[in-house]
Amino acid sequence: MAKRTEWQPNRSEKSERLFQLASALLFTNRGLTKQELFFGIAAYSEALAQGTDEDSLNRMFERDKSDLRSSGLLIDTPNAGADSDEIRYSIKSEVFQWPTNIELSAHQLQLLNLAAQAWSHASIASDVNHGLMRLRALGVAPAENELIGLAPRIKTHEPSFIPLNRALDENIEVRFEYRRPDGTVSTRHVQPWVLRSIDGQWLLMCWDLGRREVRNFLLKRIVSKVTFVKENENEVLFEAPEVTRVEAAIQDLREFTASQIAVLRIKRDSRAWFHYQIDSQEAFAEVELQYMDVHLLAEELRDFGADIKVLRPKPLIEAVTAGFEKVASAHA
Amino acid sequence: MPKIIGFNAEDRFNFLLALIGYLGRRGVVTIAEAATHFEVEPDYLRRAVMSVNDAGLVQNDYAHYHFLIDVDLADEGLLSLIENDIVDDVPRLSTRQSAAMAAGLSYLATMAAFSEDLELAELQSLLSQGTGRGAVATIEVRPGTADANAEVIRKALVGGKRISCEYVNTKDERSVREIDPLRIDPRSDGSYLRGYCLINKELRNFKLDRMRAVEVLTANIGDEARAVGDIEDSLYVSEATDTEVTVDLAPEAYGLISEFQSVVEPKDAGHGIIRAVINVGHLPNIGRLIARYGGAAVVVDPPEARRLVQQYALRALGERTAETLPLGEQD
Repeated sequence: MAKRTEWQPNRSEKSERLFQLASALLFTNRGLTKQELFFGIAAYSEALAQGTDEDSLNRMFERDKSDLRSSGLLIDTPNAGADSDEIRYSIKSEVFQWPTNIELSAHQLQLLNLAAQAWSHASIASDVNHGLMRLRALGVAPAENELIGLAPRIKTHEPSFIPLNRALDENIEVRFEYRRPDGTVSTRHVQPWVLRSIDGQWLLMCWDLGRREVRNFLLKRIVSKVTFVKENENEVLFEAPEVTRVEAAIQDLREFTASQIAVLRIKRDSRAWFHYQIDSQEAFAEVELQYMDVHLLAEELRDFGADIKVLRPKPLIEAVTAGFEKVASAHA
Repeated sequence: MPKIIGFNAEDRFNFLLALIGYLGRRGVVTIAEAATHFEVEPDYLRRAVMSVNDAGLVQNDYAHYHFLIDVDLADEGLLSLIENDIVDDVPRLSTRQSAAMAAGLSYLATMAAFSEDLELAELQSLLSQGTGRGAVATIEVRPGTADANAEVIRKALVGGKRISCEYVNTKDERSVREIDPLRIDPRSDGSYLRGYCLINKELRNFKLDRMRAVEVLTANIGDEARAVGDIEDSLYVSEATDTEVTVDLAPEAYGLISEFQSVVEPKDAGHGIIRAVINVGHLPNIGRLIARYGGAAVVVDPPEARRLVQQYALRALGERTAETLPLGEQD
């Protein structure tokens, strides 16, 4: 692994402030008020001494709290309803510690490194790298010499990915416009449960508030910005789903996919013949496969052009043909 | 490791937390060893010692410091955390950190190389406690679509062995090749082998689903292959014969520019459509590249590319309506 010589020693005021704040909030049992923090923590009291006005300091404090939250340090306010000057803040140590007595092996750290590198999106990669940094506290170094030979990458080019990822992390309701394959667009209001990638296609599994049921939306068909639903300036939060509900929804989708069978006829020695790894002496071979979404499969099959003929089902035959017709007319 | 340019405030904050956990677990450690462990310069660590020792809280004119790393020992090149009233163990991961790691691991778990890796399974169950969503597999690959050849090739690669295979290239030309495998890049559209091609005498990309009859040879990979340095992530290699093609893409077809990096910054053409310019190595391929999106991707220019796309679609439509597929057009 290359040594990060580019990590230049620079003492950032903000990092020290976050560290001091986190330490004080972890240390306190009864919680500390904003005034106690402003006068008790060097980074704040120095800012005050240098003439930072109270409004700026308050804004700084709000940003710091949100940074700590997004870094996984949940701030507790035992007397949340009190006057803003009276509110006490703390971080409970039990939400802060890694499950104790955990030992990771060098191989496991290497796996985590590989998992971290798989994310090509900068903001997700930075979450993973922060996680890896914390795991270094375990004192194990990843196995460097074990050659794995794989460099997987997870693509997230859909613009909706990042806002949806934040929404499901913080349990915020969202709205977006969704275009069905027939071209109709509708606005959806949903509670995001989980983002999943199935065969390279990102899918949002969520509770659709309009339809009052679990729905799966393909991110590539979201055609508007994703907006956080607000009520009086505040983001509308929902209760995270029970894990069993999420698992049941995933199982439903799996069963649905298993029940959908397509039958294709493939021309010998074509690219499709290679793709489906057909081993036969016949001029044509038939293959059967399962699919989740008829239009996604139609996309995949159009790639093989005339090498493949869909034998059934009918909706798939129609979807493949309709796509080719649109392409032909758009390029006439 | 991905290159991290600079070390921002959150990175450093995170590092300070990890450092406390590490010193708490490790006891006395040399600065040199800790610097290697965290992949930072020793100087960076010395300054971190000051930051850690500075963290305190003043109450009623009394200053309480949370930690103390022995400064005299630090001068001698040793780190020893002698006081610590807060961090008993390793700082926990945030849900986002856990979730992103868990997703990466679930991707690894779809690969044959890790299908029986118990340490991976253990790690997944450990992280699932922190994701807030249980042990949900974020990344799934439909059974049967995984690259059948991947594990054979990977084993050859790890063993440093040459392989031979039948290959059909993007021009639909078939050949039998010998390749020195260097790396396998699983991507959303399937896996690619990055390897030294003994016919072309250079590093080439081979899509695994265009290979068949893969055999591991007894020969070891050659010196030319060993001399190939770092392999870039991008699969695209520009060639003088490339054609620039301007395309309009609806959101359903944005995937095309993640596959083919746009030559120019894609422009917003309104109504969610973006206009991009992609390089196509073998222009007749433009037909299948565009047709798969079923109208969500449209070639604007050059006219030759538009014609090829139209032809590809019409030909597919024509053959689709025919009783049987004609055999005459094979190689």
